[in-house]
Amino acid sequence: MADELDTDIYSVRLARFQLWILLTAGVTAIVGYLFHWSFGMPFLEQPIIIKLVIVIAALIFLYNIAMTMFTNHHTLTRTTATLMGGMVMLSVMFLFGIPFVPNLSTQYYWWWWVIHLWVEGAWELIAASLVAWSLIKLTGVSRKTVEGWVFAEVALVLLTGIIGTGHHYYWIGTPHYWLVWGAIFSAAEPIPIVMMLVDAVRDLLKARTLPIVNTLGLAWLGASAFVHFMGAGVWGFGQTLPQINRWTHGTQITASHGHFAFWGAYGMLAIALMYAILPEISGRKPNGKQALSFAAFMSLNFSMIFMVMALLIAGIVQVYLQRVMGMDFLEVQSHLRIWFEVRLVAGCLFTVGCGLLLWDLFRLAARQPAAAVAGEPVPVPAI
Amino acid sequence: MHATRLTLVTATLISAVIFLGMTIDSLRQMRTRTHADQISQEVIAGKRLWQHYDCNDCHTILGIGGYYAPDVTKSYSIRGEAWLRQFLKDPARIYPAGRQMPNFHLEDSQVGALVVYLRWVSEIDTNGWPPDPQGMARQEPVGHRIFLAQHCNTCHAIGGTGGTLAPDLTHIGSQKDKDWILAQINNPRSHKLDSIMPSFAQLPETDKQGLADYLVSLK
Repeated sequence: MADELDTDIYSVRLARFQLWILLTAGVTAIVGYLFHWSFGMPFLEQPIIIKLVIVIAALIFLYNIAMTMFTNHHTLTRTTATLMGGMVMLSVMFLFGIPFVPNLSTQYYWWWWVIHLWVEGAWELIAASLVAWSLIKLTGVSRKTVEGWVFAEVALVLLTGIIGTGHHYYWIGTPHYWLVWGAIFSAAEPIPIVMMLVDAVRDLLKARTLPIVNTLGLAWLGASAFVHFMGAGVWGFGQTLPQINRWTHGTQITASHGHFAFWGAYGMLAIALMYAILPEISGRKPNGKQALSFAAFMSLNFSMIFMVMALLIAGIVQVYLQRVMGMDFLEVQSHLRIWFEVRLVAGCLFTVGCGLLLWDLFRLAARQPAAAVAGEPVPVPAI
Repeated sequence: MHATRLTLVTATLISAVIFLGMTIDSLRQMRTRTHADQISQEVIAGKRLWQHYDCNDCHTILGIGGYYAPDVTKSYSIRGEAWLRQFLKDPARIYPAGRQMPNFHLEDSQVGALVVYLRWVSEIDTNGWPPDPQGMARQEPVGHRIFLAQHCNTCHAIGGTGGTLAPDLTHIGSQKDKDWILAQINNPRSHKLDSIMPSFAQLPETDKQGLADYLVSLK
C-alpha cells in the first residue's frame, strides 16, 4: 500500500504492535492445538478468545492502511482500491465464523461465509491487486496495461463468487434451489481466473522485450497464474456441478483440488512477493546466483504436482469403491494406501523444497556486505 | 470502459442483494429441513462435545472436515443407537483392528449426548446426500452387507479378502450350523472363553438372522 501510494505507512509503531499481537495470537493458537485447545470447526479451530484478538489486530491493520490511503488519496490507484476492498471484505467475513451456533447446518451456512467468501472473494481481490502491483514492479510494463482489466476481474470475481457460495450449499440442510444457483454461478467462477491468466501472460510476454530485472519474481508469478487457473479453475470446475459433486463431495478429490488451488493462487503468489520485495530490502541484485532458487522452484512444483495427482487418483478410486459400489469407508482406505504413500513421498520432497526456498530467501534477505557495494549508493528500503 | 465497469459493479451489487435474499429464505427453510424444533439441550451438549473433542479433525460431517475417518452424517441410521453407544464408550471393543479411533473415556452422559446429537444430524434433509450406492452392494446378499457394515472383515476373511486376526470364514457353512453361528454372534465366549471377538447381541434380530443365513451359505 505504502509503495503504491509512494508514501510511508501512517504509523510504523502501530504496524509493529499489530504484528506482535497477531504473532502472539497465531503461535498461541497453534501451540494450543497440541493441547486440544480448539473451537472444533475445521480451519477456524482458534478458540473464540483468540479469534477476538485476531479481530483487534485486523482493526488496527485496517485503521493503519485506511489512514495511509486517505492521507494520500490523490495518488490512489486501482490496485490500492482493490487491495483495500479485499481487506475490508476479509475482516468483515471473519466475524461470521466466531459464534457457536446450536444448529449444525446454520453453523456451516455461516462458516462458508468465511471459508468460501475469503478464498473465492476477498483473497481473490487481494491477490488481483498484489499481482498487478508485482507485475508493474517486476516487468516495467505500463500501469495502464496492467491495471486495464483489474476492476472488470474484481467485479466478475464477486459477481460469480458470491452466489457461487451455493456450491457449498448443496448437501448441508439448505434448500434445493441452491443446486441450480450454485451450479450456474460457480461454473462461471473460472471466467475471471482465465482473464487473470491471460492478463499475466500478456504482461509477461510484453516484458520479454524489456530488460528483466527480477527473473525469479516473474517465474513464481507466472507459475502462480497458471496453477491458479489449473487448481482453482479446472480442478474446481471439475466437481462444482451437483451431478458430479453428489459423488465427490467429502472425498480425496476435494483434497487434491485444495492442494492445487491454494498452492497456485496463494502459496506461489506469496513466494513471488517475497522475491519481489527482498532484493529491495537487502540491496542485493535480484538476478544473482540462481541455481538454488530454481532448485527450490522445481522441487516444490514437481512434488506438488505429484501430491495433487496421487490425491486425485485416490479420490477417483474412493468415489468408485465407496460411493458407487458401496464399500465401507475404512475398507476403501486400505485400497488407497499406495496413493497415500506416493503422497507422503512427494510431501517429503516438498519439505526439502521448503528448506531450499527458506535457505534461498534468507540468502537474499541478508544485507549486502558494505565492501561489496562500495561506490554504489545503498538503496533505502522502500517497504 | 466506464460503461462496462458500471454494468459489472451494478451486476455485482444485484447479485449480493440476491444472495442476501436467498440467505434469509434459506435460514427460514432450514428450520424445517433440520427439524430445528428438536434441538434440545442434550443435542446442543452433543454438538459442544463434538467440537470440544475436535471430532471434525478426522471425521467429516455433512461431508465437511478431515477425510481421515468416516462421515458421520448418517452413522445413527446406519449403525443404530446400541452400536454407537458401545463404540463411543470403547472403540477398540467394537473395532479391534486397523485404523482406530482413540478412546476419549467419555462419561455415560456424554455418550448419551453425542448419540442424541448424531440422531438429530441423521435427520437433516441433505437433498439425498450421500447417494445410495449403485453397484454390487445392491445385488449382494443382505448378510454380506451386514458383514461389511459391522466391519467383520477387519478380522475375518472371506475368499481371500479381509483380516487375518480371526478365523477365515470362506467355508464356515460346511463347518458350523446356523445355531452355532447365531450363538457366536450373540456371545462369542459361549464357544471359547478367552475369545477377543466383541458381542454383536445388540444388532436387530433380522440383521443377526441375515448375517447367519449368509455365513451358513458359505460352503
